[in-house]
Amino acid sequence: MLDTDIQSISEQIKRVRKYIKLKILEDNINFRNHDEERKHVYDLITRVILHGESHSALIIGPRGCGKTTLLNSVLHQVSQEADVQNDALIIKLNGLIHGDEKIALKSITAQMQLENAVGDHIFGTFAENLSFLLSCLKTGTDRTCKSMIFILEEFDLFCHSGRTQTLLYNLFDITHSKQAPMCVLGVTNRMDVMELLEKRVKSRFSHRHIFMFPNETCSDPLTSCKRLFVDTMSLPTSLGKRRKDKRKRKKSECIQEDIQTDRYAVPMEVIKRCNMDVTDFEIDSTFIDEWNTHIQELVNDDKFMDVLEKFSYYTVNEQIYRNVMYQIISKLSSSKPYIHVSDVSSCVDETVCPEHSVKLLQSLSILELSLVIAMMHGLEIFDGQPMNFEMVLHRYTKFANTNSSTQSVPRPVILKAFEHLHQLEIIVPIRTDSTGDTTTSRVQKEYKLYTLGIPVEDIKEAVKGFKALPTEINHWFNSSVM
Amino acid sequence: MEELISTIPCREHQLQDLMDLLGEGDEPLPYSLFVSGSMATGKSLCVSKLLQYLNYKHVFIDCIECYSPKILYEAVVTGLTDQEDVKCDSMWELTNILNGVCVQTFKYKPIVLVFDRAERLRTMDQNMLMAFLRLREFCNLNICTIFVTNLVNENFYFKMGVREPIKLYFPNYTKDELFKIIFLNQKSFVNYLLSSSDACIDGQLKEDLENPELFANFLNAFLSVFYRPCRDLIELQHMARVNFVKYCEPIIKNEIKSTDLTKLWRHIAPILKTSLELLYLRINTSKSVQSPAKENNATLEETTRSYENTLKEELLSTKTFAQSFELPYYAKYLLIAAYLASYNPPKEDKRLFMKNHGKQKKKLQQVRAKAKITEKLNTQLGPKVFTLDRLLAIFYAILEDKIGLTSNLLAQIATLVELKLIAGSKEVDLDVSKYKCIVGYDFIAAVAQTVGFNVRKYLYDFI
Repeated sequence: MLDTDIQSISEQIKRVRKYIKLKILEDNINFRNHDEERKHVYDLITRVILHGESHSALIIGPRGCGKTTLLNSVLHQVSQEADVQNDALIIKLNGLIHGDEKIALKSITAQMQLENAVGDHIFGTFAENLSFLLSCLKTGTDRTCKSMIFILEEFDLFCHSGRTQTLLYNLFDITHSKQAPMCVLGVTNRMDVMELLEKRVKSRFSHRHIFMFPNETCSDPLTSCKRLFVDTMSLPTSLGKRRKDKRKRKKSECIQEDIQTDRYAVPMEVIKRCNMDVTDFEIDSTFIDEWNTHIQELVNDDKFMDVLEKFSYYTVNEQIYRNVMYQIISKLSSSKPYIHVSDVSSCVDETVCPEHSVKLLQSLSILELSLVIAMMHGLEIFDGQPMNFEMVLHRYTKFANTNSSTQSVPRPVILKAFEHLHQLEIIVPIRTDSTGDTTTSRVQKEYKLYTLGIPVEDIKEAVKGFKALPTEINHWFNSSVM
Repeated sequence: MEELISTIPCREHQLQDLMDLLGEGDEPLPYSLFVSGSMATGKSLCVSKLLQYLNYKHVFIDCIECYSPKILYEAVVTGLTDQEDVKCDSMWELTNILNGVCVQTFKYKPIVLVFDRAERLRTMDQNMLMAFLRLREFCNLNICTIFVTNLVNENFYFKMGVREPIKLYFPNYTKDELFKIIFLNQKSFVNYLLSSSDACIDGQLKEDLENPELFANFLNAFLSVFYRPCRDLIELQHMARVNFVKYCEPIIKNEIKSTDLTKLWRHIAPILKTSLELLYLRINTSKSVQSPAKENNATLEETTRSYENTLKEELLSTKTFAQSFELPYYAKYLLIAAYLASYNPPKEDKRLFMKNHGKQKKKLQQVRAKAKITEKLNTQLGPKVFTLDRLLAIFYAILEDKIGLTSNLLAQIATLVELKLIAGSKEVDLDVSKYKCIVGYDFIAAVAQTVGFNVRKYLYDFI
């Protein structure tokens, strides 16, 4: 009896973990805050689809403030209200993938499902190709075209500097020429994106900017953090087990209905996309109640709120916040079925101030650390002028000679240690100007100039916390060189 | 899981963290993980072993091996689909394949891409790393990318910002942990010892050598010396292997009993100290192993001394290296002249090389000597370029006997350039091209010694 109990609990926990992870990672439809901006985008898209108008707009906002989620949620809503399948074509491009114009065009063709129509056609220009694609889309007697929605993510990567922005020019040009109803939505995190556009592209753009800032709608980042935490961590009551006499098919239908209304639930589309079934997530309803009260308790806990507050001081990026929540959830197990505040706080500390460079410095050997200190002193004396190996070696040997207890190390070993530091990018070579003739400008590695790649504060911190650091090195570090 | 932890000692915490993040079976994977830590801390080992244990579909990509984007994409595709000779040129094609073939075969099963030595990805193509960080967005798969590198995350920042990965840090092994890990390989150490010694080892002696206590004692002594300058497990293991043979030598020769720890320590301490100087250099010391073996009745001190002597010879290799060139007499002087031309400022030539350079400069010189900053010495800033005219002028100034400028002499300059002792531009015309001496002070001092020339006397830095 006890065994089965434990088993069922671990099963429950597994399901909870999976469900909440799904919610954290895959739910790109639920959208919070920014109602005004959302309405704006929604209006634009519906006007294109229903009335055949042409528009262009840019959505600008820092990373992790929900630009893509906004678009996804709008498209989701539109797809429920209008017949998007037949009335419109949604073409998504991402600057990271389709940054090259040839690839972008190929992808557009593929997304329009026109590969067969294009076949072996050879086009002189980009514009020719694009207009051919558009003419292919015209159907019926009145030769009208479906309305098209172009979504360009990482918009700034389409603005190649130096090369002509053919894709953008053509897209914006069509929004004016009434060839077809078309909406071009750019998504970017660069505020200065307008400066990147060519003059002819800029003049064709509608200059409709939609700005999104994380803290616009609610003044306090802490409350939005808290709300998001409750929203994602709570389980929907609809997942509770039904009475057993109902038939299976009916049950899943029932759940589906409930999910439409529950605000804690993952939308059905998401679950379907992930090839999962809602019935996988059946959880005991008493357990759900317990869990939800647990979450509420957590939120009312002062310590927990302190941790959240600390996090919200550092960043408002929702992606990072989701990472934190993911880490918290992944810690759950049958032996530890609830979230501990200490876990959360250690996780947040890890995320906001990882101090990896300090740890890296502390992992160095004494010789390598001595070289770093020698370099630091040298930079202090000469006002941050770069140093080469010979100079560092000179400072180091000066120190080593005054301290008889340090073992003498041959020069090649020191050079090796120096190269190791370079490999770890604790010291970075300064850029040399490419002028000067080729044979003489190349310098031997002993004479290459380096500066420190790590702030002095980190070195101080590392020396302070270094385990078993010889006293003379500590002394040397603290002695003022001036 | 217990099994896995026992095979990878001293990484329980990291393994548990990784395990938690990767979850079980069909749970959604995180977007990306960033695993960093110093060299030889078991990053790749932990990740690959855990993925094998979890039985997730994974592709392990070494970014040195896959040095260009195309090779890397194709490696990913072949790893996932088991198809040979696939063509994949761009990120777009990769996502197409992922969305096409892989979605059908994998549904929502977990897929993990591991990029070892991910620091190389930065220089390949900036967009590539950013795209891999958010690969999940582009394809409808339960896919996760893991980046393994020994750089810290700060070195990966771009001006545009990226989707932040979840970061994991692997700390160095402590001294005790190093002891534990090296001790695990005790058997292989003993085998290496047995195979490397040519004396026949009979039953009792073999038993003594195989005694783990002996090895533990050695390891304690070894780490007490080596832990300070070196934390690299691989290097430590290598050095331990070399030194364990030395440690056991007197036991094999029946000079010291394997239980006499103080005597053994006295025997090994100087050897450890000298081999400390060879750290990372991987100089072959096989010669020195044989030489003390010949004199069987020599005392302990003598063996170590002869060992040290051979070591010193190795360390003075620049000298032997310099002599190995067997340069002709004038070529040596030409090389010295080149060195002086590279490391002396041209305007001091007059004072250094002419007999009558006027007296009034002495005062100035004293003032300047005081103002000289040690860090700004010419010998530390690297060689400067010089013209052929200057080289020949210095050559004639330091050479006592007068010889004519023949084509032979000029040919020797070309030889020095060929030998990469002097760097010269490729121009045909000797008069226009500029040269630079690229050998160090140690080398030139060795060369100068053979012709009885004092280089320091003519170096501006040392006056």
